[in-house]
Amino acid sequence: MLKLETLEVSYGEKKILHGIDLELQNGESLAIIGESGAGKTTLALTLMRLVDGSMRGKILFNGLHLLSLSEEAINKLRGNRIALAPQNANNTLNPVHTVLDQVAEPITEHQLKSQQEARQHASILLSSFGIPADRFSAYPHQLSGGEQQRVLLAIASANKPELLILDEPISSLDAPARANVIELIKRINHGCSLIVMTHDIGTAAKLADKVAVLYAGRMVELGSVSDVLSRPRHPYTRALIRCYPGMTTGKDLQGIKGVMDRSTSGCAFYPRCTQAIEICRREVPPLKLTQGRYVACHRGGIITLLSTKNLSKRFGSLLAVDSVNITIEGAETLALVGESGSGKTTLAKLIMGFIQPTEGEICLEDSPVSNRGKDFYRQVQMIFQNPGESLSHRLSVLELVKEPLDIQEIGTKEERDRRARQVLKEVELPDTKAFLNEYPHHLSGGEMQRVAIARALVLRPRLLIADEPVAFLDSSLQAKILKLLLNLQEQRGLSLLFITHDIAVARKISDRIAVMKTGKIIEQGPATTIITSPAQAYTRELSQAASRLSFEN
Amino acid sequence: MHINLKQEVRRSDFAVFGIITLVLLLILAVFGPLLTPYEPLKQTSFPFELPSFTHWLGTNHVGQDILSQLIYGARTSLLVGFSVAVLATILSAIIGTSAALIGGLYDKIVMRIVDALIVIPAIIVIILVAAYLKPNLLVLILLLALLGWQGGARTIRAQALSLKEMGHISAARSFGASNLYITFRHILPDLVPILLMGFIYGIRRAIFMEAGLAFLGVADPMTVSWGMMIHEALDFSYLNVWRWWLIPPGVALSLTIISVTGIGHALEGALDPRLRSEANA
Repeated sequence: MLKLETLEVSYGEKKILHGIDLELQNGESLAIIGESGAGKTTLALTLMRLVDGSMRGKILFNGLHLLSLSEEAINKLRGNRIALAPQNANNTLNPVHTVLDQVAEPITEHQLKSQQEARQHASILLSSFGIPADRFSAYPHQLSGGEQQRVLLAIASANKPELLILDEPISSLDAPARANVIELIKRINHGCSLIVMTHDIGTAAKLADKVAVLYAGRMVELGSVSDVLSRPRHPYTRALIRCYPGMTTGKDLQGIKGVMDRSTSGCAFYPRCTQAIEICRREVPPLKLTQGRYVACHRGGIITLLSTKNLSKRFGSLLAVDSVNITIEGAETLALVGESGSGKTTLAKLIMGFIQPTEGEICLEDSPVSNRGKDFYRQVQMIFQNPGESLSHRLSVLELVKEPLDIQEIGTKEERDRRARQVLKEVELPDTKAFLNEYPHHLSGGEMQRVAIARALVLRPRLLIADEPVAFLDSSLQAKILKLLLNLQEQRGLSLLFITHDIAVARKISDRIAVMKTGKIIEQGPATTIITSPAQAYTRELSQAASRLSFEN
Repeated sequence: MHINLKQEVRRSDFAVFGIITLVLLLILAVFGPLLTPYEPLKQTSFPFELPSFTHWLGTNHVGQDILSQLIYGARTSLLVGFSVAVLATILSAIIGTSAALIGGLYDKIVMRIVDALIVIPAIIVIILVAAYLKPNLLVLILLLALLGWQGGARTIRAQALSLKEMGHISAARSFGASNLYITFRHILPDLVPILLMGFIYGIRRAIFMEAGLAFLGVADPMTVSWGMMIHEALDFSYLNVWRWWLIPPGVALSLTIISVTGIGHALEGALDPRLRSEANA
């Protein structure tokens, strides 16, 4: 019923929307999500032809070219077949008319009914929207925010439009009012198509069948709402979800680095993207259909950094790792959870190439890893389980942290020193001369652990395999280190394979969890799903055994 | 485990005694030509002269000065001891670490050679070889070195194998380090205590072997050696000359070997926690 073809809108020199293509069927509901400034409101206004900028491209509404219609013709559509409930009810409602009059207005306007009939119709509508009869003659400022929003919806749906556009319908409301209004919108949606502009992905999840992600005036991802929001494919979509403080998120909130910049010549998200490559800077990626999803990314969406295929390791009669298939995406945390002896460390060693697999293969960005040279280890680093053992007793702290740079022959001596000091500061260790000359056996367990972490980070790897990295630390340090790792994920796109026996720690840092038992991955999925509704009894046991603050009486 | 070698050696009286004695012997050997009144092989007086101010330890059966011979004997002993130990230690380090790191067929072949060398009695091989070659000092040193690395190589291989599996070596590998880097930066430095012990015991063994061979007559007659002095003195045991001819080289030889043992013993104690004295972890 609605089709947009390369729709462009600009205010003077400033282009707000770039080539939007979109299709909406009868009765479908579409959410358009994005940060403020992405162009959501402009798009809403453009569909109503209310925008005061120049428009190019096509908007086809049931066969009508909206952009080439006369002003008279479009007036007949507006508020009648296409209706908009604008953002910010408070400003939109006219303060000098009663709400009943305002709901009746579009009815008298389009259905040519008498004032009397229109008012009657309006009052039926208002009561069905839950406004008590004694409030009909109230003025907008006398209503609560929730009531104002419902009045606005009543106005928009007064003429039973075929297409209803809602701009941030619930963002100004409190939680109970939100639930109310969402119910209401769902009811309206039974008879018409719906477009919801929102920055709140929870609203999108509740209201829409399909979701489009808008960034700096461009659509970057489009697909069914459950697919896109549970398994985002564009880095921006995933970043948005990571910013969302829902009851279903266990991982700590992460932001998106930088701010939106419309002036880039290539992919608009390029400056904030952690997996950008050269082409992203130069060319705008087209929105392409791959695997049932429209994604605009030169890299085909979020990359798969590392994957194992039927990876097995046998020690004599013991199958330590039993056909393990895991994938780690770019800038993602996969937590590998299981009791000791379940094969977690063996799996880590297989990936690092310290031991050879009996069967199966390991792929780094889709190409199988055979000979691991310096190049592999520059990208993949590991924090060892026992920090004391992994630090040579003959090297000072500075020498230890510099060693990876020495081996990889990166930079001059001064640069190596500087990078080593900087990474020591990042892990909250002093960079004083005295400390740099300290030997590992003079350090505390926590300090050793942090030196080991600093050493694994100094090469700025893309994937960090962390084998119980915080097991030796007290909770305050543990929190700092986890935050550091998450921050590196946000800023540099660090991927993590986080090995832990503690599902409580895994919950705070991981996007997905894989549960390992006797060498097998028995269950894997999004972290929240694994924790709240585990499919395996073993996972439930792990969750129940995890630490929590609860009081017996 | 971090070992402070200096500290460990200093704690042992035996080792301190050993080091002082060895240093004195070394000074004696290095400055020998300046200290000796006579050339050791030159006939300077009548045979069998009693100790006097001109000949502190008297003269031997051909009128050579015994004190000068004693001092020159230290030169030979220590020269053979140190050079054999250096060569054998280097050989054992190269062969031991390479066998551990390369492994596979190379390791198997090398270790079978080691087994073979361990069961062959070196002294008999040297006597046999000396029968064909003119046994000058260089040949002796080479022979002793070539037949003296196998035990060390085996210990070093075992140690390197266990080092190879240690966390900090895996860590170095995880930074992309090559075998060569790992050997020189991590394994060899970690082997220093063991190499040092092998070196010290190598000295002891070489000095002992050299003296023994000289005693048996497998030596260049133109070099002075304690073993040869003992051998010659024994021919005249029916005379009283043994007091100043036989005892001094015997005592010198024993003292050298005891001092080296002292140092070695302290090192061994430091390396083996079971041998360490009080708690000093």
